Amino acid sequence: MSSEVITLHDVRRYFLMGEFIVKALDGVSLTINRGEYTAITGPSGSGKSTMMNLIGCLDTPTDGLISIDGEETLGMSEAELAFIRNQKVGFVFQQFNLLGRINALENVMTPLLYGGIGVKERRERAKEALDKVGLSDRMRHRPNELSGGQKQRVAIARALVNDPSIILADEPTGALDTTTGNQIMELFEQLNSEGRTVVVVTHDLDIAMRAHRQIKVLDGKLES
Amino acid sequence: MIWENIKLAMKSMASSKMRTSLSLLGIIIGVASVIAILTLGQSATKSITDAIVEGGLEMVTIYPIRSEKSSKEFTEDFGDRLMANVDDIRTVLPVNSSTAVVRVGQKSASGSVNGVLSSYADILDFEAVEGKFFSLSDNMAARQVVALGSAIAEELFPDGDAVGQFVSIFRNQAKSYQVVAVMKEKDPSFNIQYNNGLYIPYNTYSQRFIRPTIVGSYVVRVKEGADSLKVSDNISDYLDSTIGSDSYTLFSPATLADMAEQITGTFSTFLAAIAAISLLVGGIGIMNIMLVSVAERTREIGVRKAMGASPWTIMGQFITEAIVLTITGGLIGIGLGTLLSYAVANVVGWSLYISYSSFIFAAGFSTLVGVFFGWYPAMKASKLDPIEALNYE
Repeated sequence: MSSEVITLHDVRRYFLMGEFIVKALDGVSLTINRGEYTAITGPSGSGKSTMMNLIGCLDTPTDGLISIDGEETLGMSEAELAFIRNQKVGFVFQQFNLLGRINALENVMTPLLYGGIGVKERRERAKEALDKVGLSDRMRHRPNELSGGQKQRVAIARALVNDPSIILADEPTGALDTTTGNQIMELFEQLNSEGRTVVVVTHDLDIAMRAHRQIKVLDGKLES
Repeated sequence: MIWENIKLAMKSMASSKMRTSLSLLGIIIGVASVIAILTLGQSATKSITDAIVEGGLEMVTIYPIRSEKSSKEFTEDFGDRLMANVDDIRTVLPVNSSTAVVRVGQKSASGSVNGVLSSYADILDFEAVEGKFFSLSDNMAARQVVALGSAIAEELFPDGDAVGQFVSIFRNQAKSYQVVAVMKEKDPSFNIQYNNGLYIPYNTYSQRFIRPTIVGSYVVRVKEGADSLKVSDNISDYLDSTIGSDSYTLFSPATLADMAEQITGTFSTFLAAIAAISLLVGGIGIMNIMLVSVAERTREIGVRKAMGASPWTIMGQFITEAIVLTITGGLIGIGLGTLLSYAVANVVGWSLYISYSSFIFAAGFSTLVGVFFGWYPAMKASKLDPIEALNYE
């Protein structure tokens, strides 16, 4: 198994804003290896969100190559990209983005549903994941019955449950107080120490400095 | 996955009950009216045809129309000729009838006097409750005997014991007839009121009562198991080609019932088609609510896509939701429509004929409405850009 989990080769992402072309990413090459704990930083508008969207296969580049865990994404259909997101990427969002009508367990089970896994195994693996983030006693609660920290833990369990190659977190502490934020970061560190590849996108330097590697994005280019 | 989608759809319906029920209303009303119209239409048809066929589907009656030519053709031996030329006829019975007044002492009644052959009662399954229908020899000898229909007997002999008594039948002059039998009550057929009849031997009628210039009618009994509709068509064809279509009228319960069925059937199909238009209106309501649902859940769609839901999966989720909505509406509508038909049939006095095929039709149609009107909103959902959807406020 190759040690590279994420490779970006001369990736560009341009947007057309009226008559102007905005170069959100303008020739970025990058390799992240398995088991790395990386922070992507930069001020807002720097292109770090665009980069995260591209790594997470939510978006496709205008030019350049991206491969995720050995899968070259160029020319993939929407459905194929959905499959890559399902199997290789676990998202953690600033606003948690849990589904409000279903409970914590069902939320964590959802990626497995899209992975075509049977209901019994789904439930077991979701329980395991919730156990791992320390929420086995909150499984039947709906998101609106959980605190911010608990919601983010459910979201992390959901990101973990499909055993993805990358955990991709976008400002995971942005909506939390410092103490809770620290606990969440400790959880990421624990996951990394177990061998998971973690990528945290943040503009918060304190958070970024906890990672082993910092990648700075400025005006659509890497600054190193 | 389908089951998951159904559960999701139910949850989403339950989360906004008021909105769900309002948007269901169109489908419910549409389906209920289609069901009610089809069910009531069928019940009405059933009631009408039941009334027609009560006298027996296996009977066809020919009424000759008097003319120079028909007088020569419609004679006593016409039956033999008919049977020789048309298949599946068991018997042809000539009948002469006219209305007359009957009197016993101070009591009098008016009824139709029928000159019939002695086999008439047997062939029409017309039984005597008292005495015995007159015999072949009564007919041969043209005896003045009579069998009374139940209603006539009731009027003239309210205390019973009619058999053996004499009645006077008036036609220009009074003639006395001995009662040989009282007939059992028989449901009236469309053209024959059995219970108001008096039955005298055929020869007695033509020799002593009225001398007819032409046979009044022929009752044709179709063979057991044969198709009455076809036989009556064949009789018409035969008569048209030999005597002419203006020389007779044909009465066949089977033909009438068939006609009534066709008319009411066409009519109720037409009404149901109009009612189905309201289903389309209901469908537009569903489309509207689905568009709102998709817009409201843009962020959810983004999250699901981020977790690996493919466009088809999202499409399936929302189509399922639309179908669950319309099927729910359809089922409620079927229940409501049946209830409504039950109430109406009760008031009007029809026997309710529930048409299960209309249930299947209504359920199928509402599913179709769900697929059709759910398609566009679901496609819109499936095509949402995941990044925009995730950032949707």
